[in-house]
Amino acid sequence: MNTNTTDSEKVITMRGIVKKYFIGRPNELEVLKGIDLDINKGDFVAIVGESGSGKSTLMNIIGSLDRPTAGTYLLDGIDVSSAHDTELSGIRNQKIGFVFQTYNLIPKTNALYNVEMPLLYSGMPAAKRNERAKELLEMVGMGDRMDHLPEELSGGQKQRVAIARAMACDPAIILADEPTGALDSATGRLVMDIFHKLHEEQNKTVVLITHSKTLASECERIITISDGSIIGETKGGRS
Amino acid sequence: MNLLLENIKLALFSLKANKMRSFLTMLGIIIGISSVIAIMTVGNSLKEQMNSEMFSMGANNIEVYVSERTDKDMDTYREMTIDDLLTYDIAEDVCETFSEEIKYIMVSRTIGDGKAENGKKTANIELIGTNYGYLSSEDLNLLAGRYFSLNEMEEARDVCIVSDIVVENLFGGDMEAAVGSRITANLGNKEYAYIIAGVYEYEMDDSNILMGLTTDRKDMMSLAYIPFRTASNIVHSEKLGVFSVATESDVDSDKFTGRLQKYINDMYYSRNDYYNVVVFNMASLVESLSTIMGATTAAISVIAGIALLVGGIGVMNIMLVSITERTREIGIRKAVGATNTSIRMQFIVEAIVICVIGGIIGIILGVLLGILFTKIIECAVAISVSSIIIAITFSMAIGIFFGYYPADKAARLDPIEALRYE
Repeated sequence: MNTNTTDSEKVITMRGIVKKYFIGRPNELEVLKGIDLDINKGDFVAIVGESGSGKSTLMNIIGSLDRPTAGTYLLDGIDVSSAHDTELSGIRNQKIGFVFQTYNLIPKTNALYNVEMPLLYSGMPAAKRNERAKELLEMVGMGDRMDHLPEELSGGQKQRVAIARAMACDPAIILADEPTGALDSATGRLVMDIFHKLHEEQNKTVVLITHSKTLASECERIITISDGSIIGETKGGRS
Repeated sequence: MNLLLENIKLALFSLKANKMRSFLTMLGIIIGISSVIAIMTVGNSLKEQMNSEMFSMGANNIEVYVSERTDKDMDTYREMTIDDLLTYDIAEDVCETFSEEIKYIMVSRTIGDGKAENGKKTANIELIGTNYGYLSSEDLNLLAGRYFSLNEMEEARDVCIVSDIVVENLFGGDMEAAVGSRITANLGNKEYAYIIAGVYEYEMDDSNILMGLTTDRKDMMSLAYIPFRTASNIVHSEKLGVFSVATESDVDSDKFTGRLQKYINDMYYSRNDYYNVVVFNMASLVESLSTIMGATTAAISVIAGIALLVGGIGVMNIMLVSITERTREIGIRKAVGATNTSIRMQFIVEAIVICVIGGIIGIILGVLLGILFTKIIECAVAISVSSIIIAITFSMAIGIFFGYYPADKAARLDPIEALRYE
């Protein structure tokens, strides 16, 4: 663990996070079995694990899409474990930037609208929204394709739009779920470079969820999860 | 507000993306609204037409006329003779007997068309004999001179009241010179001389304009009024086919009609086996016609309402399909921070937009159809503005009512499930 950081710089603090499904029924399932996790501001963390290890569930909890059954989770100082639906929506809007494996852009709407969307829900006026979205698309190198529809873009381009969208509200963490999983290695490289750039130049906290050991090895911290528990953490780093 | 505007934009966008489906969804609303509007337009036009016709016929008046007895032996029949007719004396008797209830009675006798002449100058007139009540009901705007005096009426003097058109043609518009002057009414075969007692302002009849009559003002035919008894002398008869009664405003005309009919029949027609008097109340006819039309309109409106209901269910159905199709979109929106409320609003707005657009198309179509039907039955178009406002409000309400359930379903979707949805 990085001993140089103080508590105030912690972005994620998880203590004893448990997630159970089918509670009280014969098929009760404990997916997360008491996770303790600290992520500091500016960390580049990889969470690795086989499928079924509970990493998707952990990602949903980190991303405030779901609440833990037990345990406490502080995200940027906010207690997510006790927040209700509307508060969770606000947290997702302001604190989290999702990047999905399948891009998850809204079809039939152009790149610009997709990037504007989180800003719309944050209540930003149209003119400012437009300006910010354009700025973000320029940043990921999509400035010349702002009015393209998702179906007119390649996988790598779609993922760049998705990263721009994730950055829209300047979130506390970027949460990327297998962001290169659907891309060929060259395009995947390009996408990973954007994450590194965001991490290095803007000191963004990036949490990468993957099953790929090679991808994980690029990150500063590699947290391995298996059968609902963290079984180890190693240091990584780009060569 | 920001979000509402965005939602409207988004809804229009999604309608454009699925043109055919949107149109089919709207069809139910379009048919429902357009039929309501068409029916309302036709109904309204008919009502206006009826009212204006009744009004020109004197809707507030009671008509007294002679008709075949309905209680006589059916096998016997006799042509109506002059002896069966009413007389001016009967009318005056009625007026005196019921002086409490009757404001005035109206009798008139049309003599015919002809020319008013002053030397070589002429004007088209129609000569009509009237009593005081009839002149009152005409509501003339007297420009010069006066009405007939009681003496002139009773003694059947040769006086007349003519229009300003006649004065323009015969006296170059000089009212002062005209009043008291003698003119000749030339009815082709006969000539009568009258002294002008008064001049009234001629009012353009709307029906002339409607029929497309574009006669010059100077060639217009105007009425020249003479006392009723003067007219009676021309035809050598005091007989009357019909007269009208204007009642005081506080009189129950339905009850009074019965009393009047009984009185005249008892007094004057008790020995006439073939004919008697019928007293007809225009107001009650208008009322019963209005009731029938109102009921018809209501019945058809109920059917149109059912069409709207079916249309609304169609909207709900399509919204449910659309939400299933867009489950992933809903998941994405929730992941980037959309609250349940904003998702609900998005889909309700979409349903409202579908219904309101359908409503607007329906209104346009309905008005056009209404105008078409109204033209076919040849009456003046009267578009019901209130029905248009009701239609818009109603279609909005349908959108909210039938959009709420699907929208709420969308709002309650679990973001994780929705994101996973293929």
